[in-house]
Amino acid sequence: MTSSANLLQRSLSECGLLICIGSGGVGKTTTSASLALQAALAGRKTLVLTIDPARRLLQALGLQGAELEPNTPLQVLPKMSGSLGAFAESARLDAMMLDPERGAEEMVKRLLDDPNLHREVLGNRIYRALLPALSAAPDYVALELICDLHATGAYDLIVLDTPPAHNTMDFLEAGSTFSSFINERVIKFFSLVPGVGGKSNSLLRRGSTVAMRLLGKLFGSEVLPDIASFFYSFRDVMPRMKERNNATDALMRSPKTRFVAVTAPGETSLREAHHMHGLLRDQRLPFGGFVVNRVVRPPRGTDEGGARDAAAESIRAALAAHGTPAEAAADLAERLRQGADHLDSMAAADRAHVDDLRRLAGQGSFCAVAPQLEHDIHVLTELQRLGAQLIDSASRG
Amino acid sequence: MTHRTTASLLDHEVLLVTGKGGVGKSTVAAVTARAAAQRGKNVLLVEYESVSRAAPLFGRQELGTKPVQVDDRLWLRGFETTDSLEFFMLQQLKMRSVVKLVMRNKTVLGFFMAMPAIKSVTFLYHLWRLVEDHGPRGDGKFDLVVCDLPTTGFIMGLYGVPKMVQQIFHIGPLARVANGMGDFLYDTRRTGLVLVTLPEEMPVVETVEFLDALQDRYGVHPAATIVNGVYPQLFGGDELAALDTSIDRSHASDDVIGLLDAALLLEGRHERARRLRPMLEGSLDCPTYELPHLFARQLPLAAVDKLATALNAAVSSAREPA
Repeated sequence: MTSSANLLQRSLSECGLLICIGSGGVGKTTTSASLALQAALAGRKTLVLTIDPARRLLQALGLQGAELEPNTPLQVLPKMSGSLGAFAESARLDAMMLDPERGAEEMVKRLLDDPNLHREVLGNRIYRALLPALSAAPDYVALELICDLHATGAYDLIVLDTPPAHNTMDFLEAGSTFSSFINERVIKFFSLVPGVGGKSNSLLRRGSTVAMRLLGKLFGSEVLPDIASFFYSFRDVMPRMKERNNATDALMRSPKTRFVAVTAPGETSLREAHHMHGLLRDQRLPFGGFVVNRVVRPPRGTDEGGARDAAAESIRAALAAHGTPAEAAADLAERLRQGADHLDSMAAADRAHVDDLRRLAGQGSFCAVAPQLEHDIHVLTELQRLGAQLIDSASRG
Repeated sequence: MTHRTTASLLDHEVLLVTGKGGVGKSTVAAVTARAAAQRGKNVLLVEYESVSRAAPLFGRQELGTKPVQVDDRLWLRGFETTDSLEFFMLQQLKMRSVVKLVMRNKTVLGFFMAMPAIKSVTFLYHLWRLVEDHGPRGDGKFDLVVCDLPTTGFIMGLYGVPKMVQQIFHIGPLARVANGMGDFLYDTRRTGLVLVTLPEEMPVVETVEFLDALQDRYGVHPAATIVNGVYPQLFGGDELAALDTSIDRSHASDDVIGLLDAALLLEGRHERARRLRPMLEGSLDCPTYELPHLFARQLPLAAVDKLATALNAAVSSAREPA
């Protein structure tokens, strides 16, 4: 890429993974799709990945009627290139939806290659009960899947629309959370429950009885052996889990990975954007930049020097001249004036928020802006225009 | 199994306020709490694990896990997972020194905090005990507890908690806890679910889909859907027509076009809300209330009061769904 390309463009042409983070309702899915489309049109084999439900992604890609088979890529380009014109015919864009429950099951199966262990874990009552809970926090499963996809080299760029966690931290810490739940120490501890582990050191066993009694009191001593055997069944896969954990961590920190914080104007979103920026910095994760969606633009014209008053007056006169009664014309002109004032003040507030984020982004990262849309995007041409707008706005200082 | 709401919105013991991200859940939770307080109820507004969004509305920046009175009839408090976990262990073990020891041990605490669903389990447990102890059936300190909760994904998990805990702990002390939590959560006369949405296509579709899924899985009907930010009608159709015939856009100044465009945009948003309303009412088996859009990004307390009055009026005039 030439040196005149801005930082967003460079991320799209040079990175292997873009992770779009942010709370829900700020247009994260549409942003992910529009960035993926830009990269694809620039000649990179691109995949955009979302978490179930995928309706928003399908709609943004103009595929309302389509069904996404979970965990299976669906071709968007060149199949749908018609609306975009000939230049899209050589582009390659896939979309994929992750079903976290199925993903979690596949993840565990991959870890346990011994068929006996397979049965032991997958048949475990506690594992079956926990499976839906795993899918309620699908962050780790998503990372795992991306790691595999990335390793195949099938795509130049993967854009991840992260799950709508209520807390960005959940996603960033997914790997370490999983390993605080199941790790060697926990397994060793539960192997001491009578009847679970193999032969063990009686001294160790005695030392843990206080803790064991406590757990029995908390959970009920009747179910303790079941819980213990659930953990114990993971005993042989720890090294492989650690390996995979390291792999996902390395991918998140790769020089070819960027986190994109998607946000919107408004006090809450602004605070959240600062929070995300701080988290990434603290965790030393590569920050790409901000995408600020839903920015209200001021109406055409200017509010300076009484220009809006003059415009309202000329509208009043025109209405009266065309037969609107004088009072009604004056009233309508006044309300038009008020409507423009509303939008002016909303636009001014949004502008201040965008400026704040531009300062936070500084020289090293981008800040791209998209206007508030009056209807949902459901054709590729609109998605393409949105992406172009984002890139264009990222150049402005 | 069908849990249908019969109580009026503000007559529940608990209201769980949720919705997709960015629809104004916190504002609606604050407005709902305020509306009940206006009716003379003592209300606790709970904010779940977050930078507090409701506290600034009441002139406070920080929110702890102790209730703070912000008005004659309104209290605020936060819920944090670590605090709720400690509460749970204290209630179950009844040994304060041991629990303190556990909470201070990083490895053990890390293990508990990493359990799948730990957040929703401890939240539900804590809320259930709080309402049993201080709600109308307890010491009566709070007539209503309004919870400002995360997005719908959390709620789906929350409604699955009693069943999940029952599956894991089919006998013993936690089996009884699971039954108690289930009785509390699934009793829609006590616990009402409030879905917040925006008058935009995708949020409305997602709300309908979410409620269908929730009903399929757990047989739960919501207490109400609240459409937030409905644009009032500022311009009549005949007025827009008069503007069209009186003004030639091709010869108009930018300033004039700016005024006309602003009117069209605002009217378009009002029209969209009107068009989407039947979609919610037609597919949902619960009352739908609308809150007007206020033309300010930051809500002062006066605006919360204004919206609370609007909600109260809407709830009073609502008839039982057929």
